[in-house]
Amino acid sequence: MLPEFFEFYNPTKVVYEAGVATDLKPELDLIGITKYFIVSDHIINDLGLVQKVADGLVDAGFEVTGKYLDVAQDARLKDVKKCADIVKASGAEGIISIGGGSVIDTAKAVNILFSVGGDLVDDYSGAHTLTKPLNPHVVIPTTAGTGSEVTMIAVIYDEENKEKLAFPDKFLLPNLAVLDPEMTISLPPKMTAATGMDALTHAVEAYVGPQASPISDAFAVGAIELIMKNLVTATRTGDDVDARGSMLIASTMAGISFTHSMCGCIHGMAHATGGLYRVPHGIANGIFLPFGLEYNFEEIKEKLARLAPVMGEDTSGLSEDEAARLAIAAIRKLSKQLNELGALPIRLRDVGVPEDGLVAIAEGAINDGTSFYNPREMDEEELLPYIQNAY
Amino acid sequence: MGMFKTSEEFEKVIVGFFQLVADTPLIADKLLQSKMVIRFKYSDPDLTVVVDCAGDKALVKPHDTTTQAIVEMTMSADIAHRFWFGMVNLTKALTRKEMVAKGPIPKVLKLLPAIKPSYAMYPQYLDANGFEQYNITKAYKPPTA
Repeated sequence: MLPEFFEFYNPTKVVYEAGVATDLKPELDLIGITKYFIVSDHIINDLGLVQKVADGLVDAGFEVTGKYLDVAQDARLKDVKKCADIVKASGAEGIISIGGGSVIDTAKAVNILFSVGGDLVDDYSGAHTLTKPLNPHVVIPTTAGTGSEVTMIAVIYDEENKEKLAFPDKFLLPNLAVLDPEMTISLPPKMTAATGMDALTHAVEAYVGPQASPISDAFAVGAIELIMKNLVTATRTGDDVDARGSMLIASTMAGISFTHSMCGCIHGMAHATGGLYRVPHGIANGIFLPFGLEYNFEEIKEKLARLAPVMGEDTSGLSEDEAARLAIAAIRKLSKQLNELGALPIRLRDVGVPEDGLVAIAEGAINDGTSFYNPREMDEEELLPYIQNAY
Repeated sequence: MGMFKTSEEFEKVIVGFFQLVADTPLIADKLLQSKMVIRFKYSDPDLTVVVDCAGDKALVKPHDTTTQAIVEMTMSADIAHRFWFGMVNLTKALTRKEMVAKGPIPKVLKLLPAIKPSYAMYPQYLDANGFEQYNITKAYKPPTA
């Protein structure tokens, strides 16, 4: 069944190679500017990754006009304002962000103020409010989960009003995504597992969601296959460049998929759990993924059944129901393997969520913007048993 | 030229309907819980309407340009008209800029389930209030599931 309407727009150039983050001259020459400002965080800097990229830029004849390393765990509004002022003053012509989702989203928002000025909240809250392209933005992800290097959204935390603000806009799509597995080698097992489950959730929710199209499906399926084959290896053997590279590519493919077809109740539950109990996003997604699929089961079983072979399961002779349940079982098997490696909690009780907090998670999920994109209409009372099962 | 020839005619239709929605507890109660204040800016023909749910009662304020809105939605009168029949794919409309939304979009998306019952009310309202000529449901064939 074809969707009534869909749009596919992906202008971000993607390059992949081990070591390519220090050898970007051909790609940057095509962008056509020479002065870049680096946005990152102290963890990435302490690992030597920022200097590695900066040295590569200088060796290739580019100028690094400055660095901003104070990005917090959540991309914060105050960082955006502060960083944008520094970028402007530095004389930069473009931005290179090196990091995970918070760094990349901060850089996207900084680029709005850097390129067109104004106030981020007053002038650009909403959907597709920008009217012209921004300055060049090159992204070097250091985790394989967020997919933000190819998405058109930045999520920024407003500390004053204690809310996450979403800025979806086509002009936020970066110019270049640099997938270099050497930049993710140092990611610890727990972060590898959690971010990998985040990528898997992006791909699965995008695939079964009501906004899916044949093109977003192709990216989702590719991502799911790579994640199912490589996440355990990347978690167990962090210096396996092939596994790391596969996870980076998968994360990017999942990002391309979900920036077009969006995410549903699993992200809604994860957002609520993160907001209420500070459970990291990837871990919460990993915990909720099988339970959210069970909540949506009747609406998504046809597509879920098609995912089972992609996940390496033999569905010959099985009914649609059985094949769909096998796909959920495959996800549980993956989570269990990661759990046995000590890298991924699989129960809410193991991540500090109190049992009497489950109703609030259900309420938060219903009120989350993602509920609009869930395949099944969201109902708090009907969702609660699935959250209780995840406890 | 859109379906509505004058701002006055469109105002009669849309403001009357907003008032009906505001007086329908099934919908209004949820809107009031949200405390949302939305300014709708319509074109072809031009009209501005604020729906203010910040107080104890949902208020419909045509021509209001002073109330501080949380969200501002800009669209043509025809898109607005089709929306209240449940015929507009919101994602498509936002993507193609047939609707431009300024403000916290997740808060708007949260309201969509609450206003769903109004889609069935709109054609009935048109028929019951002498606006039958604007009831396009008979010509509309919904996409097959």
